Amino acid sequence: MAELSFRNIAKRYGDIDVVADFNLRVEDREFIVFLGPSGCGKSTILRMIAGLEEISGGELAINGKVVNDLAPRERNVAMVFQNYALYPHMSVYGNIAFGLKRMKIGREEIDKRVRSAAKTLGLEGLLDRRSTALSGGQQQRVAIARAIVKTPGVFLFDEPLSNLDAKLRNHMRVEIARLHQQLKTTTVYVTHDQLEAMTLADRIVLLRNGAIEQVGSPREIFERPNSQFVASFIGTPAMNFFEVDLAGASAPCSKKARLAIDPARFDLDGRSKVVVGIRPAHLRPARQDETANIIEGVVDLIEFLGNDALITFKYAGEEVGALVPAQMSPRVGDQVRMTFSDDNLHAFDIETGRSLAKRSQGRP
Amino acid sequence: MKIRTKLPIVFTAPTMAALAVLAFVPTIDAINIALQNRDLSNPDSLYVGFANFRALIDDPRFLNSVSVSVAWEILTVAATMLVAVPLAILLFETTPPAVRNGLCVLFIVPALLPRVSAAFVWRFAFHPLFGLAVYPLRLITGQPIDLLANPHTAMFTVAIVDVWQWGLLFAVIVVKLLETLPRQPFEAAKLDHARTWEIYAYIAIPMLQAPLISLVFVKMVESLRAFDLIYVMTRGGPGIATETLDMYAFSQGFIESGRISYASSMAVLMMAATTIAFTVLWRWARRWRET
Ligand SMILES: Nc1ncnc2c1ncn2[C@@H]1O[C@H](COP(=O)(O)OP(=O)(O)OP(=O)(O)O)[C@@H](O)[C@H]1O
Ligand SMILES: [Mg+2]
Repeated sequence: MAELSFRNIAKRYGDIDVVADFNLRVEDREFIVFLGPSGCGKSTILRMIAGLEEISGGELAINGKVVNDLAPRERNVAMVFQNYALYPHMSVYGNIAFGLKRMKIGREEIDKRVRSAAKTLGLEGLLDRRSTALSGGQQQRVAIARAIVKTPGVFLFDEPLSNLDAKLRNHMRVEIARLHQQLKTTTVYVTHDQLEAMTLADRIVLLRNGAIEQVGSPREIFERPNSQFVASFIGTPAMNFFEVDLAGASAPCSKKARLAIDPARFDLDGRSKVVVGIRPAHLRPARQDETANIIEGVVDLIEFLGNDALITFKYAGEEVGALVPAQMSPRVGDQVRMTFSDDNLHAFDIETGRSLAKRSQGRP
Repeated sequence: MKIRTKLPIVFTAPTMAALAVLAFVPTIDAINIALQNRDLSNPDSLYVGFANFRALIDDPRFLNSVSVSVAWEILTVAATMLVAVPLAILLFETTPPAVRNGLCVLFIVPALLPRVSAAFVWRFAFHPLFGLAVYPLRLITGQPIDLLANPHTAMFTVAIVDVWQWGLLFAVIVVKLLETLPRQPFEAAKLDHARTWEIYAYIAIPMLQAPLISLVFVKMVESLRAFDLIYVMTRGGPGIATETLDMYAFSQGFIESGRISYASSMAVLMMAATTIAFTVLWRWARRWRET
């Protein structure tokens, strides 16, 4: 059980700022997911928590105690690595027990805890096996068992599932979720898979270039992205964006694109151009009599996704994707006319990419 | 198909035959001589069966040389590894890569030196009056100390030179081995409450077990050939304190008495003993690694 607090954490390699002024509080028992594109500093921050990477500036506290200068072994954290990092010359049992032996725990207690951790992760039959003679999924389970057996204050996961195939990844994701429900250990989990982030996280920390872009529950991040970057990063298929000319402040409706932008919801503030976003899943075919929020074009690509089909067409010079039920899918070359409801519209500043949604006017 | 499978044999056979001749003819010749009573001072010789071997058992100087050889072997192999591994770990832990590479180059230099030159340099360094290596001892005790003339210290002193050449070279090899190890198990161990020495004792060295065992074998073979080093530094002395088996055989055969057959019987024994010892150790190491 532990809480984490980051105060102005910075990381520099030479004169490259990888992380600058990172601030966050992670509550006890919370499952936090760091999400972001490759190279944004997720692993770096995680490794600073673990003590594997020196902190260049700021203060990191675990349970109120500043740990900047503590060795990894003194921080009471456990980490699961992307490539498992098992001890290749040891058995599964040896791998799981290694940390406990170093902690000078009694032989019987070690045996009890190793067996219980092995049971939790379904490794009972493999305890005597060499760790190199295991499949990827089994190795990752050993790595997780090695972490939980120490009953640490904080779990750190660095893309633990990215070396597994899709099916196993789903399976292990569920196991990790279950494990957290059972153990309730504070967890920081790094991934660039948004599905993992959405399903596991209590809160997602979305990172970009070493800075926090947005922190919030998966739902908040999905429904109320702070910026165009967040909106484009979260959700598959990706959100559609268009630049919209506002015909003067009094008429917040574009002539070119027939989109209504409600000044009650968005802080337009005299802007003449904004970027609007709409998710493919929020587009639906328009009835003949509907004239507001119309986006239309000729279908040039259809991707069949199972229940749905993703159709792509050009509108106002932009590629637009729309999800439609597969059985209602048009054919390539068909003219389509789509619409959406006002509350599914997002608007962003054209320069900064910041969301223009009025915060007070948040939806549930 | 037939031709294809036979082709490798056809091509390698002449080489193999040449190698077999080169390896076996001297060996058989040595055994042949060992069974005679040939002498440098006498052109005639008779077959005497195992008389030479029987005489060896009652020769205290031979028994001494066997024990010197075994002691030399154990001392130099152990000392080399005990210097190389900790030194490599120290380098790996404390120096940044650029410094480490510089030191590595420096550490290779002694091994590049021909051993006879190294032996001469060090023999002078241990000179009781002018030697740089014994200067501190001279300061402390206030009198000249001749380490090479003292039967208790002579072998250790020669071993220092051997370790200076090979321990440093092996340290470089072990550093390079450490550099090839994946970082993650080390990091996992750090988080697993392991102290630095525990990481090396339980993770790094076991991961390097196979190459380290190979290094031990290489050094064992190398230590068998220390004749030139010992010969230059002590000539087997003082007395026979550092007289190894090959040195005794050499002196019996060519220096003191010219008893070629007697020397040859020692060579044959030495060959048999090392072959057996290496086979047994190799098997044992392999079995031990597999469990
Ligand atoms: N030793 C180093 N020296 C200089 N720059 C480094 C070093 N290690 C990492 N970086 C830089 O720091 C940035 C963040 O790296 P980090 O490994 O944290 O990314 P990440 O978010 O984990 O990416 P990924 O999803 O690909 O794992 C990268 O731009 C990387 O190039
Ligand atoms: Mg990473």
